[in-house]
Amino acid sequence: MEQKKPVLSDATGEHVYHCAKCGLCLNACPVYRETLVESHSPRGKVQLAKHIIEGDLDITKHMSDILFSSCLLCGSCVAACPSGVRQDALFSGLRWRAAERYGLGFTKKLFFQVLSRGWLMSTSAWFGKWVRKIFGGPWIENRMKVGNLPVAGVPPMNAKPFNDEFPEIVRPDGAVNARVLYFHGCATNYVFGDVGRAVVSVLTRMGVEVEIPKNQSCCGLPIFLSGDRKTSLTCIREVVHAFSRKDVDAVIVDCATCGSALRNEYVHILKELRDLGEGVDDDLVAAAEHLAGITKNVSEFIDAHRDWLPPFPPYTGEKIRVTYHDPCHLVKGQNVGAQPRRLLKLLPTVEFVEMAEADRCCGGGGEYQIEYGDMSARITNRKVENVRKTDAEFVATGCPGCNITIGAHVAKDHVKAIHTVQLIRNALDGKGPGE
Amino acid sequence: MIREETIQKFREIVGPDACLSSVEDLINYSYDSSVDEAMPDVVLLPQGTEQVSAIMKVANEEGIPVTPRGAGTNLSGGTVPMKGGIVLVLTRMNRLIKLSKEDRYAIVEAGHINLDLQNRVKAEGLFYPPDPASWSVSTLGGNVGENAGGPRGVKYGVTRDWLLGLKVVLADGRIIQAGGITAKNVTGIDLISLFTGSEGCLGIVTEVTVKLLPLPPFQQSIQAFFPQLDGASRTVARIIGSGIVPVALELMDKVVVNMIEDSAHIGLPRDVEGTLLIMVDGEEATCRKQVEVMEKICRDEGSSDIQVAQSAEEEDKLWLGRRSAFGVMSRKRPTCVLEDVTVPVSNLPAMIKGTVEIGKKYNLTIGVMAHAGDGNTHPMIVTDKRDREEWKRVEKAVSEIFHLAVDLGGTLSGEHGIGLSKKPFIPLIMNDDARRLMVEIKSVLDPKGILNPGKFIE
Repeated sequence: MEQKKPVLSDATGEHVYHCAKCGLCLNACPVYRETLVESHSPRGKVQLAKHIIEGDLDITKHMSDILFSSCLLCGSCVAACPSGVRQDALFSGLRWRAAERYGLGFTKKLFFQVLSRGWLMSTSAWFGKWVRKIFGGPWIENRMKVGNLPVAGVPPMNAKPFNDEFPEIVRPDGAVNARVLYFHGCATNYVFGDVGRAVVSVLTRMGVEVEIPKNQSCCGLPIFLSGDRKTSLTCIREVVHAFSRKDVDAVIVDCATCGSALRNEYVHILKELRDLGEGVDDDLVAAAEHLAGITKNVSEFIDAHRDWLPPFPPYTGEKIRVTYHDPCHLVKGQNVGAQPRRLLKLLPTVEFVEMAEADRCCGGGGEYQIEYGDMSARITNRKVENVRKTDAEFVATGCPGCNITIGAHVAKDHVKAIHTVQLIRNALDGKGPGE
Repeated sequence: MIREETIQKFREIVGPDACLSSVEDLINYSYDSSVDEAMPDVVLLPQGTEQVSAIMKVANEEGIPVTPRGAGTNLSGGTVPMKGGIVLVLTRMNRLIKLSKEDRYAIVEAGHINLDLQNRVKAEGLFYPPDPASWSVSTLGGNVGENAGGPRGVKYGVTRDWLLGLKVVLADGRIIQAGGITAKNVTGIDLISLFTGSEGCLGIVTEVTVKLLPLPPFQQSIQAFFPQLDGASRTVARIIGSGIVPVALELMDKVVVNMIEDSAHIGLPRDVEGTLLIMVDGEEATCRKQVEVMEKICRDEGSSDIQVAQSAEEEDKLWLGRRSAFGVMSRKRPTCVLEDVTVPVSNLPAMIKGTVEIGKKYNLTIGVMAHAGDGNTHPMIVTDKRDREEWKRVEKAVSEIFHLAVDLGGTLSGEHGIGLSKKPFIPLIMNDDARRLMVEIKSVLDPKGILNPGKFIE
């Protein structure tokens, strides 16, 4: 008789038994707060996972839809769970099994193949830019919405990939306080080149030698969160190979999502694939564990070494009001929330104002906003309303995904989304936030 | 099983999006925060009293069981549909219908979330006291159904004490209003009390009118640590005896404190046997004086360390740990059996001592937590239901805890309700005639026995 393959590794599966069904995750979940239906809640899906693991519930098409449509994998439930249940591990594992069974859909498949191959990514980015130039122009884009995302508000592609702008090693003038590797991720490389420039500028001014490895892969997170673990493994291997080094002080990441991949997800996924006999060995797990230990978010790193910052030049202009949005993958995934706020309050150019529910999801969820536009819009509206109430001119954040989602929706109010590190760089240049 | 034509009728009443029958949805409404589970046949999410009434008419005609449910966070199995049928989920009926600052009351639909109401009225300088640990998600309707309490119960009582009126749909679909919006009301039998805590066995509460207080101008919390658990429980009895009425007076033993610290990392000392968490509110000068008196009592009873919260953030942190205690217990072992036996506060030291001894006798890990100020103890047995031998010991220990509470002049449940788990123990506390009276009352209101059948009124 054929032995039935376990759905998840024992270590991951055991989590379902530690759910006390207390319900404290319900309020934390942005989707449940909108629909108020139990199957959309983390508790509901954990209980379904329990039935699947025990073998009395099949991963039906409906179940697959629940896994993808009612979860942004924002990790809010993980942060809220008093019992320490890793809902994210359970749900991403089940998405993997669902995708194995029902496939990914053609566009997703193509998208992930592109993401997982650096050269394809750069080619397609150029292609996208070209298409935009030929067919685009504001007259068409102003009317276009992809899912919940107004296209007009989405920033254009970089003129050339960020990685090509700098030599592999950028040395500071003067003494070297630390040596770091910079993992810039796809977003900085292809869309937010200025974030990358700001990272390099601030770090070198702090006396940090920045090495920017060539041919960086995608972190793989958008791929494995969609269930395509096999493709994502290509990315994970490449990143671990290039960045898990013992001769550097830290690996700096400017993107909340990439950071949570390198820090939290790799080790978990690799261990699970190892335990399930999917061709991952102990050496790779150990290298990923080392990488997790040295990875730092850029705001976190700058904040920890504030004393390395040169003094800010005097600023006589009017202070600009700035609020801060906590990306889920940063505040919940990496516990980085106080640091960017502390830095923003340091800036002579900025009047910092806290928004209500700053740590609530923006509703973007990467691809989620495109595929499940209606739900995403309901969550985003709440965020936009909270931004508006602050009267801020800028929303600082630490995630390109949130930047695109929030930025695209607040553009009509003349509010801009910006990375915290860009504001720091501008202040060091003696310039206001928007200059 | 419900016939497809009947389900079609329900679908027409609530709309296709609010009539759920996939196996996934049925599983998701088969449980609450307690241990037992049972599958419904269909899940309905009505919007508005009229829809509830229409559903009840059909259900009553056809004799289909109906179990009303809010967020499903009760700890007694009150919303588990033991006989299948309909789970009637009221979460989408969550409007704030009226908030009167002048007359200090609010009317909400049953699905309104407790904390949302708290925040809303606070913005107007008002205060709604009942604060069950599940307040961030539990609904007012659910709070009424279970007559929920919370830490603030010492000073402010339980949900019933804050109700002015209820709109109730009866088993056959008729709609009644019990009480009103006035602060005083003795017109007729007190129907509000009849429905409150009836766990959905007598009617479906669809609207709740609560009275509100002016927001107290000041509050302060202190935390005291004791090398002996006994010293902590004696302190409780002495504070209450001194004439101070704290808002909340919580006791936690070493097991609970360590579990909370594992989860919340708020710097609780791991080696002390007993911890008290006390809050007072009112005028600042009075509060500070009360804190002084309480500090002295704590020291007299051997407290090794007393901390006074210095800011609102510090207060929130202290109380967040306490609120998460139930979930926290599931970190080490999968199943947490949480009881809520309540005794006169003077017998609290004996109750706690006895609970610890029962834990030892049956070789179980029992965390002791209590809303100590009102004698409401929450022994939490941490176990794994998959271990059958241990589960037998758990059942024996629970039974002994109930017997002990009754011997000490106490009762089975202070605020969680009877639900399923405590049903067999009702005879300990109510004689045959009293139980028969409950059955007779139910038979008048629900002659076909469709409302939450299989629960404590049988």
